[in-house]
Amino acid sequence: MMTEKYIARSKAIAARMLGGEMMVMSAADSTFFTLNEVASAIWQAADGRTPLSEIVAGKICQEFDVDPEHAQRGAERFVDELSQHGILLVSDEPLVESSPTLVSR
Amino acid sequence: MTTGLVTAAEEVVTIEIGGMPIDLRTLDPCFRVFIENRYAGFVGTSPHSHLEFDIDLCEPSQPAAGDDLEVKIEGGEWLLKRGDFRARWNSETGRGQIRQSASPYAIDCVLRIVHTLILARQGGFLVHAASAIRGGKAFLFSGVSGAGKTTISRLAPPDATLLTDEISYVRREGNRYVAFGTPFAGELARVGANQSAPVCAVYLLEKGLENRIEPVSTTESVQRLLRNILFFAHDPALVELVFQAACEFVSLVPIRRLVFVPDQRVWDIIR
Repeated sequence: MMTEKYIARSKAIAARMLGGEMMVMSAADSTFFTLNEVASAIWQAADGRTPLSEIVAGKICQEFDVDPEHAQRGAERFVDELSQHGILLVSDEPLVESSPTLVSR
Repeated sequence: MTTGLVTAAEEVVTIEIGGMPIDLRTLDPCFRVFIENRYAGFVGTSPHSHLEFDIDLCEPSQPAAGDDLEVKIEGGEWLLKRGDFRARWNSETGRGQIRQSASPYAIDCVLRIVHTLILARQGGFLVHAASAIRGGKAFLFSGVSGAGKTTISRLAPPDATLLTDEISYVRREGNRYVAFGTPFAGELARVGANQSAPVCAVYLLEKGLENRIEPVSTTESVQRLLRNILFFAHDPALVELVFQAACEFVSLVPIRRLVFVPDQRVWDIIR
């Protein structure tokens, strides 16, 4: 049986939606990421309480018309990459700490 | 307090960069004169300085002491440390101490760091960029070493006032940004004019075969700006402030790419 993943935005980051793009910078190593629409949706849904599979099924597949298997694989790659830079926190249990507030423009 | 015939007021040199006066107090009259000459044009007379450093001169340290810059919060104060200086600064009281060799690089570095820490909380920053005022508007020319900051400064026409050829000073004032002159010179070795003007545009420099201006995406604008903002402390709260300052700046000021041939005609397209 597949282990469920829970994801939360790290507090050691700065993030902002600007010009329709989500920009994220790590406070630890100043790595800079620009997230596409799908990645932004995952990012914004990363509340630490919603399982990744539920984010994919309930949000990504609904909003972006992609097949569930393909979307799940893509989401896991994205989560792995961002977690390696400490930008996303990943756990097999719900993460209770709140995520930083996002600023939109 | 007096030292011989020198009064306390005479022990102080006020350096005012970006409209922010900083009192530097030293008992060494030679170093005082050195500071006055080094920052000529930026020596202020403001009686309202809230920032004050006592400078204690020492012998230069050995290279083994290490030249890596360290900026961190320790015991509620900022600790600034490099091979040629060690400084502490309390951002609440505005007071600090610098122990340094009689080197222009040491005091320059401390001033830059203190200004970046203060500006970050006000939405401003220091950035690797030449800047000049022309027609009442300030233009910034940003790029890493070798991108052409000194070249574009050298090519500036007589009606342009050079603010710096190396480190630009940007302060937020309401819904606009204002560039100030700095004494932080690059290869031109010329102190900038102590003037200011609203920032009209930032040009990312790139040498090429013709003069042209190209649009730059929002993402690249933020990324390039962040790459060139002077940033000394990896404090998470400070990273957040600098990041948000860069995003705010990009949302209000146009950033473009300036591909240029190194001759005076490049200034014809700068508006």
